[in-house]
Amino acid sequence: MATGIPGYKVILHGDYGVGKSSIFRRFLNNTFTTATGRHSTIGLDHCTRVFKVGTQSVKLTLWDTGGVQRMSYLGSSYYRGAHAALLVYSLSNKDTFGVLSQFILDIVMNAEGAKIFLCGNMADAVNPEQESGQVTEADLEQFMSQCDDVFSGVYQVSCKDNNGLEEMFTDMARVLHRDSVSRLTLRRDLVRPGDTETANSEKSSCC
Amino acid sequence: MDETYDVIVMGTGLKECILSGMLSVTGKKVLHVDRNTYYGGESASLTPLDQVFQHFGRPPVGDKYGRGRDWNVDLIPKFLMANGQLVKLLIHTGVTRYLEFKSVDGSYVYKGGKIYKVPADEKEALQSSLMGIFEKRRFKNFLQFVQDYEVDDPKTWKGVDPTMISKQLYEKFGLDANTQDFTGHALALFRNDKYMLEPCVELIKRCRLYSESLARYGKSPYLYPLYGLGELPQGFARLSAIYGGTYMLDKPVDKIVMQDGHVVGVSDGKDTAKCSIVVCDPSYAPDRRKKVGQVVRAICILNHPIDNIRGAQSVQIIIPQNQVNRNDDIYVCMVSSTHNVCPQNYYLAIVATTVETNNPEAELQPGLELLGTIEEKFVSVVDLFEPEDDGKDSKIFITKSYDATSHFETTCDDVLKTYERITGAPFDFSKVKHTEVDSVGE
Repeated sequence: MATGIPGYKVILHGDYGVGKSSIFRRFLNNTFTTATGRHSTIGLDHCTRVFKVGTQSVKLTLWDTGGVQRMSYLGSSYYRGAHAALLVYSLSNKDTFGVLSQFILDIVMNAEGAKIFLCGNMADAVNPEQESGQVTEADLEQFMSQCDDVFSGVYQVSCKDNNGLEEMFTDMARVLHRDSVSRLTLRRDLVRPGDTETANSEKSSCC
Repeated sequence: MDETYDVIVMGTGLKECILSGMLSVTGKKVLHVDRNTYYGGESASLTPLDQVFQHFGRPPVGDKYGRGRDWNVDLIPKFLMANGQLVKLLIHTGVTRYLEFKSVDGSYVYKGGKIYKVPADEKEALQSSLMGIFEKRRFKNFLQFVQDYEVDDPKTWKGVDPTMISKQLYEKFGLDANTQDFTGHALALFRNDKYMLEPCVELIKRCRLYSESLARYGKSPYLYPLYGLGELPQGFARLSAIYGGTYMLDKPVDKIVMQDGHVVGVSDGKDTAKCSIVVCDPSYAPDRRKKVGQVVRAICILNHPIDNIRGAQSVQIIIPQNQVNRNDDIYVCMVSSTHNVCPQNYYLAIVATTVETNNPEAELQPGLELLGTIEEKFVSVVDLFEPEDDGKDSKIFITKSYDATSHFETTCDDVLKTYERITGAPFDFSKVKHTEVDSVGE
């Protein structure tokens, strides 16, 4: 904070198996793995990167659910202080799309004022020949019309093909920064034990 | 649920969550279950406000006291010593990154029906109206001595062997009964006067902890997390999950499965999860615990701050036992919207003490009187339990109930001792690798 770069906390949210950790890994070090084990993220559940919005540097800190398997066990503390939630579903699995409204409710209840970005992952796995079970453009349009301005951004990405991710992160940084410029509040009386020792390492970006 | 784990932890109270985190970090495969739908067990913060009313069997009030979900009400009131063990645990495990704290505005002590700011350093001692002019000088000398005292260095002892009893130490410095009272209870935070006949090294250590904690952030030695104490167990649960721990809430685990005198699993009536070690709070092992006392607590909603605390938005007031003819101190904690636990213009005060009579609520009276007009009051009397045995044979390791102390030092003692009982060795903080991982790609 001492560096004066504005920072925003973004939490990943969405059903089990939609690729939240894959998005996190792309954000962290631009890698992809098909292994379902959690070993590759062990001990690390958030990462900060710096993005350019015009000439201004902006810090985005992305938080992963850290291997808590079912979202209902997340607990309220995960949402604290979040500026935004990146709500993820799988384009190839309509069930993960159908449960979005519950997640939106969770976010609105627990992270007041947080912006919500919607992200369809696994664009690579969409099969145009297949009839059902996938999320179609019509599904998305219908959902959006019901949701009426809930989303600050809507994206489709593929973590496997590394498609659309950097664009998404950059756009989120831009939207968040533009929105907050006028109402950024500083909370100087906050205390984070141990911060003096680690302050330096946290200031720099991960990647 | 029917898998095999190294350890099954039951209950997501703070102690169980810290232990779960420590065990996951050291490579154990942990399953962590709770019968409730929320984290925290006894150490949860209830939200919205109607959940508090429901907890105490009262009808809901909706938004009568501001917006219901702006309330986060602790069931057990405690503050963190800024330089205490819990803060060290938070820093070493990296859990501090999940939480935000603010320091508590003031620390007060009760004397003769009035409350006074606790003088914690030489300068404050000289300004305090708590003592006469000559007593101030003697107290200043005592504080100076405590600051310089090193147990390992006899040169700093000034004739005070660490085994000298506390009472003698007070006499050596000529401190009167009043000064002894607030030193022992408001600085060293002893709950009763048993320490007077015990070696003074503990008294010195505790006074040091108070002043070192005070030096950290200024106004008081205490910290309190935004959104209430219920954030703490969640932070440690997250640590456990990151290191591979599995979480299941809303799981009515009611049976510990034994074989040849030691635990082999845990059952919810349908499935059995296998394990070689169980860690739990006393409520999950009703036939392996013993009652050691009771605590009475009154959670009070106020629409004004407590009087005579100079507008502080959060305070601790200690009523030393001698002042009100008791054996145990009475603690008053007040927090407010500055710590995001209630809407603006409301205040949340909790009065607590160890039960000594058949009318526990009346024992809180001196504390309740300090609060002024009370909008709502929720009184609870809870039993304190300890495990019947150390768990070395049964491999069932039970933590103690949360006592009446106003801070987390005894909580951490129990956690570290339980960890040692489980593994046979003290916790190795170097096992937590987060600091290295954190700096990936720099």
